[in-house]
Parts: sequence; structure tokens; C-alpha cells
Amino acid sequence: MARRLAAAYNWFDERTAIRSLLRKGLYEAVPVRGAWFYTLGSATLILILLQLITGIFLTLLYVPSVTEAWASLNYLKQHDAFGAIVRGIHLWSAYILLFVIGLHMVRTFFSGSYKRPRELNWITGVGLFVLVLGMAITGAFLPWDQAAYWTAVVVTNIPAYIPFIGSFARALWRGGDFVGPITLSRTFGIHVWLLPVILFPLIGAHLALLRKHGEFGSYINYRGAYRSREGVDVPPAPQQRPIEPPYPALPTDELWAAPLQTEDFYPHQTFKDGVVSVGLVILVFILAVGIGAPLEAIADPSTTSYTPVPEWFFLPLDELLLLVPQQLIPLVLVLPAGGVLLLLALPFIDRDAERNPFERPAVMVPGAFAVLFVVILTLLGSGRLFNL
Amino acid sequence: MAHRDPRRLSRRQFDLLGTQVAGAVAAVLLGIPIVGFLISPLFRREEAVWRKVGDISAVPEAQPTKFEVSFPQQAWTTSDIKAAVYVVKRNGSYKVFSNVCTHMQCPVRWESALSQFLCPCHGGLYDMNGANVGGPPPKPLPQFVHRIDGTTLYVQNRFTETI
Repeated sequence: MARRLAAAYNWFDERTAIRSLLRKGLYEAVPVRGAWFYTLGSATLILILLQLITGIFLTLLYVPSVTEAWASLNYLKQHDAFGAIVRGIHLWSAYILLFVIGLHMVRTFFSGSYKRPRELNWITGVGLFVLVLGMAITGAFLPWDQAAYWTAVVVTNIPAYIPFIGSFARALWRGGDFVGPITLSRTFGIHVWLLPVILFPLIGAHLALLRKHGEFGSYINYRGAYRSREGVDVPPAPQQRPIEPPYPALPTDELWAAPLQTEDFYPHQTFKDGVVSVGLVILVFILAVGIGAPLEAIADPSTTSYTPVPEWFFLPLDELLLLVPQQLIPLVLVLPAGGVLLLLALPFIDRDAERNPFERPAVMVPGAFAVLFVVILTLLGSGRLFNL
Repeated sequence: MAHRDPRRLSRRQFDLLGTQVAGAVAAVLLGIPIVGFLISPLFRREEAVWRKVGDISAVPEAQPTKFEVSFPQQAWTTSDIKAAVYVVKRNGSYKVFSNVCTHMQCPVRWESALSQFLCPCHGGLYDMNGANVGGPPPKPLPQFVHRIDGTTLYVQNRFTETI
């Protein structure tokens, strides 16, 4: 039996080169120190896959129509306990994904991993972050309960403040001047097709670039970390491992080129990745079963008693909407757009080879202020809406 | 080596041009209907309909009163959509407001304690005449196109000004 299996595997390998593909994929050299922090990327990927799987199954029931959307999810809630769990997993893994992708970004920022030759790793990552936010916002429209409806109204109204083409941009998303059936159809299509067909190839590019240049990790793995320390010798350059990736893939500053100590991705990093990811999956499952996904009353545009409360990840922008006076409303577009442009420009602004965060105050201090600004807006927003 | 006339396309240049033209033709033939499909709802004006709101003879002076009215939904949907109508009577004349805030289109409500319309999203305030008097709203509260037959109010699914 075992011989037959081995023969089948050989047959398959001759035709697909699966053996060398697996070897190339699994025996990547990764930095040893700080490896628990490097699990955030794989955790992001696992959570996105969880979205994909649960999302696919939700389309087996959900109807993207203003008369049926709420009713189909209400049916799920009332009559289909397992389906309700699937929806709960979709919601809670989305919430946790937004946290984890944020942490992954902060870690990369902190460790200066975006520097030459990894500028495009960072830029594809910023693209993925924006797409995930887009998925979160469009997903929030779909239940067509009160929360979803008013989120749809407010979010699709923001483009109206783009100078000159504002009302055109708003109507393009809404499919008319007001939120209605076309808005829901379009947003559903954007959520399940348009954004994912960009998102998943971009994940492929992000991972291909990761493999090309190798996991940077953190400054503590590099000779450069010893340079500025008094009385400590810079250790000799590490031996080149026979395993890919060939640190460094591009000629770059020798002090930051190759980690001093590496180990195989499989099974050492996969163990840590697995522990973190399964922990998150368990957490998602507990939240999905314990709390589940809420469904408010069906959308009612004529309400004069309902107070719309934005999704928590929309709170910073909602607080800006409150704080920005009527003459400056386009600021709510300019600030996030400017933030994304700054993120995209980061590897070209901070070009120095130095990776130690404590030696890069010119980047770390503004970065910390930007994070603080978003956190303060979130706290102000939640304080206002939940009377905390 | 044969001398080649530089004014004539080489086979390579010809094939390159052909590939590019093929790609451009396919892109245009696909692109036109897709872009047209995307923007077509923007040029289709919803049909104007009149709907009866009700008898407004009991609306008290200077006391915005809420009514509900049903309008046909956008596009193909056969079911109606409800809209809120605030009727304000002052010195014998009537104003007919929508509950749509001009800031982010949240549902505005009349707060009799404040004697103002309040938008619960971002704190927009309008006075009884619909003027935006506080918070972020950039324009007055929208008014419905309306007519009054005797004491019966009819409104159209149109605002007097675009928002």
C-alpha cells in the first residue's frame, strides 16, 4: 500500500514537480528572533480565508434585494442555528481581521520592514488594508436592517462632498439620487466580486514578494542592531544558507541584508503561526456562538426615532463628520485619502537603511501621533454614542 | 545583408501593432456597454408621482407634525418605500419638510423640548422654518413639492431643491 502511494506520488511529481514546489514553499529561511510577532501576517491571511469560506456559504441563502435581504437573514436567525453561526463567524472574523491587519501594519512600520528592497511588499500591503476596509464597509450594507440601511445612506453620501463630481460619484454608487434597490445590488456585487477579484491576486503578489525578499523580521536579527552599541562588536556576516530566499535578493546595505540566525519556515514558523491562528479561530467561534451577528428591525427610511450608530471601525470617520464644520466637510475625504497616500509614500520618504525604531524618531513620532489621532477620534465617537 | 526600406513595417512591427489593435478593439467593445450600464441609472429620472398625505386641518400652529407617505421605490422594485413628512403650519401657511438631513442624509426628528429639528447622527439642528441653525448641515431642511386641495395635502417624490 505504502509502495503504491509512493509510486502515485512519484507519478504526480513527474508531471507537476510538486516535490520541489513544496520544498521551495516550506523550507524558507526565516529570522529566529521575534518570530511570534511575525505570525500576524499569517493570522491576517487565515482570517481572510475564513471570510472567503463563510462568505461563499452565506451566498447560498442571502438574497441581495431590498425586500428579501433582511427577511433572508431573519430566516437564518429564526430557523437555522448553524447558518446563524456561519454568519456570526463571518461578522466576528471580519472584526478581528481589522484588528489583526492593523497590528500587522503597525509591526511592519515599527520594524522598518518596508525599506529597500521591500517597498512593494509594503505598497501591496497598504492596498490590501484599503481593500479589507472596503470589504468591511460594503459588507455592513448587506443585512438591510436599520443599522445597515443608515450606514449605507451615510457612507454613500460621503462621496457627494468630492468637489465638482460629488453628486455624480454618489449617484454612481447608489444607482440613483437616493439609496435603493440598485444601491444594494451594486454593493453586493462590489462586496462579493469586484473587491475580492482585486484582493486575492494582490494577496498572491504580496506573498510572492515576501518569498522573493524573505521575511525581514525585526532589527534585532541584524548586524546593524549592534553597530550603535558601545563596547559591543558587530558580529560577522552570516553564512549564506543553501535554502531560499537568498538573503539578500537585491544588493542592499550589508548590515541589514541577512538575518544572523535563521530557521526553516516549516515546521518552526508554521508552529507559531498555527498556534496564533487557531487561537483566533477559536475566539471567533466563541464570539459567533456566544454573541452571534445582530439583526435589527428592517430598514425604515421614515423613522424619526432611530439613532444610527456606525460600525466601530467607522467611528473615527464618523467623529470627523461631527467635528468638521459645514464649510470644511470635504476634509472628511481629504484626511483619509491623504493618510493612504502618506502610507503609500512611506518607503520613499523613509529611505535610510536604519531599521531600529529607536533610531528613527523622524518616522516613529509622526506615526505614533497618527495612530493616537485615530484612537482619540474612536474614543470620542464611542464616548458620544455609547455614553461611556 | 538585404537592405530594408525603413519606411516599411517589418513583420515584427506589423504583428506588434496587430496585437495592440486587437486588444484595443476588445477593450472598447467591452468597455462601452459596461460603462454605459454603470452610469445609465444616473440619466433615468424617476417618474414623478403624487401621493396623498392626509388631512392637515388638525395640524396645530407652530407645531411640526409627522405624517407618513409611501412612494414607489427606485427602479424595478414593486413594493413602496415609506417616507416621513413634517408639516409645519405658521400664520396659516404650510411648509412640508422631509426628514432627510442635508449633511449625511440621516433621519431628522422634531424635538419639541428644543423647539428644533435634530439630526441624531452628527447633531445638525434646523429651526421650525427648516433653516440650518446649528451643527454641520450645509443647507436648509429639504421641502417636498406639494399641493393642498382644501385641507388634503399631496406631496410629490421630489424636493424643491436637490440635496
